[in-house]
Amino acid sequence: MWVQIEQALNQSMLRVLNELASLLPGMAALILAVLVSTLVAWILTFLLRVSLRGLQFDERLNRGGAVPSLIEWSPKNSPTLLLTRVIFGLVLLVGFLIGIAAFDATVTSQPTMQVFGYLRNVVAAVLVLLVGNVVARFLARSVLIGAVNMNLQYARLLSAGVKWMVLVLVLAMALDHLAIGGGIVHLAFGILFGGIVLALALAVGLGSKELVSRSLEREASKKPIDAEEPFRHL
Amino acid sequence: MAELDNIPQPARQHLERIGAADLVIGLLAGRTDGEIGAAVALVREALAKVSSSVRTVVIYTDPAIEQTAELVPVEEDANLHLLSYPPVAPATPALTAQSTEGAYRAVFAAGEKLGARACGVIASNLDTLTSTWIYRLIQPVLQLDFDLVTPCYADRTFEGLLNSSIICPFTRALYGKRIRHPMGPDFGFSGRLTHRFLGTASGARAASRVHPLTWFATEAICGGFQACQAHVGIRVHPPADWVNLSSVLAQVLDPLFLDVQQNAAFWQRTRGSQPVPAFGESVSVPEAVGAVDVRHLIESFQLGCRSLQEVWGIVLPPKTVLELTRLARLPADRFRMPDEFWVRIIYDFALGHRLRTISRDHLLRAMTPLYLAWVASYALELETAGAAAVEQRLEQLSVAYETGKPYFLSRWRWPDRFNP
Repeated sequence: MWVQIEQALNQSMLRVLNELASLLPGMAALILAVLVSTLVAWILTFLLRVSLRGLQFDERLNRGGAVPSLIEWSPKNSPTLLLTRVIFGLVLLVGFLIGIAAFDATVTSQPTMQVFGYLRNVVAAVLVLLVGNVVARFLARSVLIGAVNMNLQYARLLSAGVKWMVLVLVLAMALDHLAIGGGIVHLAFGILFGGIVLALALAVGLGSKELVSRSLEREASKKPIDAEEPFRHL
Repeated sequence: MAELDNIPQPARQHLERIGAADLVIGLLAGRTDGEIGAAVALVREALAKVSSSVRTVVIYTDPAIEQTAELVPVEEDANLHLLSYPPVAPATPALTAQSTEGAYRAVFAAGEKLGARACGVIASNLDTLTSTWIYRLIQPVLQLDFDLVTPCYADRTFEGLLNSSIICPFTRALYGKRIRHPMGPDFGFSGRLTHRFLGTASGARAASRVHPLTWFATEAICGGFQACQAHVGIRVHPPADWVNLSSVLAQVLDPLFLDVQQNAAFWQRTRGSQPVPAFGESVSVPEAVGAVDVRHLIESFQLGCRSLQEVWGIVLPPKTVLELTRLARLPADRFRMPDEFWVRIIYDFALGHRLRTISRDHLLRAMTPLYLAWVASYALELETAGAAAVEQRLEQLSVAYETGKPYFLSRWRWPDRFNP
């Protein structure tokens, strides 16, 4: 009886040890892949940092003023640092996925391929966010300047409304790309977008009710511009 | 000749038939037969004062003609021909940059084809045109060998404000010539100068879509051509379009600042300014301006100050933005914008335009409230002033531009240098 128990225990231990031993090369490969990818990532980010500093990337972006939000989001307000950290993380992730795939091709390759497939969506979502941000700021600035030049007192409100409408649209598009939320995102987007439009309409409508009546009164009592206006610009 | 592309084919055939001419005059503003007829009579009067033997071709665009061109002989004068052809660009209430470019180039091309010694272009409203006006634009070219004659209009105190506040003093400070109306739009040109305009330099400029009116004077100055100005009389200025003022600012200042970039090598070497010869006597304009209402101008500026600080802060140093905030708080009776302050704003915007810190269109449109603040300050200062005081005030502004030039030069050369 004891002999049989001992044999059963020995066999199970052997099986576990065998399983563990079969995992060891994979583990070693994973560690090696992570180490190599860390080294590659470090070299890549070092080269990238040196090149971007040489090109005065931060100063140019700062002076350009086109993507101030990128600067705001960056660690220590340095887009160079943000970019190098993103690249470092991506290379490390790729190394990790290669290491995982080394365990057992049949078991691990499918999730790896899924992650790689999803990466495409992540890149597309990031691009949509970046371009959307630039477009939102450009449109907001256009509306702001145009509204100020038209003497609209609520110019800032209009500008902020346009900016947030575009940002909400962009965020919904990005989440759609990432396949996060599904129907909830569509519903939330509809509610939010509609809410912003309604809020703007109410704010402008209610806020400008008196303004419109005043301006109509002013227009009615105004003499023809030519008769009283001595200014000629050209 | 690529330049002749600006002239329709039938008109080119008429030009070949004419053969040669001493003078080509382009009437860009005429719209009716009556207007053109009256203008041609004035041209004949002007030519009689110069010489009886000047072979002249008067060119005008006729919107009524669609595809052809008409050569109308003037029976009483064998030396004078009238040539009309359809507009090169669609007729618009105001000449756009593109149509202006085409209209001027068509006149230059006709002059080149006919071997003309001089070209005169009249783009102002023909209502106030006189024979003296035409005579003074062409006589310095035909008889005194000048290359460019710029007009010197008799403006009322609050007319031509964009020219008085920016174009004239800015051009004077940078290029060193005291030209009162560098952007015309009426000019006299020598054949040498039009040849240059049609040559490679202007081709490159045309490709970069610079408004031609901004670079006639600067191109002549930079090329070492002889420039002068002529007192032509009172010009009818188009009424102020307050709704589209920002578009007007963008249309005028964009090419002006672009020109500064293209001539950077020249103006950086230029120091001070010299007067150019002036012909004719200045006409005194009857003034009937009392107190002016500038409240809406100040309110526009205050709104801009509340809403556009973020945009202004991209091109203006913090100290200037702070000064603007202080200015916005002043009561209307004490509202004054110092010249040095205004000059720095213009120089900073010119630099911002070069650096493309934000979209150039946004940049120039964002300048509108600042310009209105200057107009308000100027109006409050000069509402009861006479012509001499106005002239003195504009001279003072021009000197401020010249004094501020080292600041512009320094910022142009080292834009990244700390500027509090």
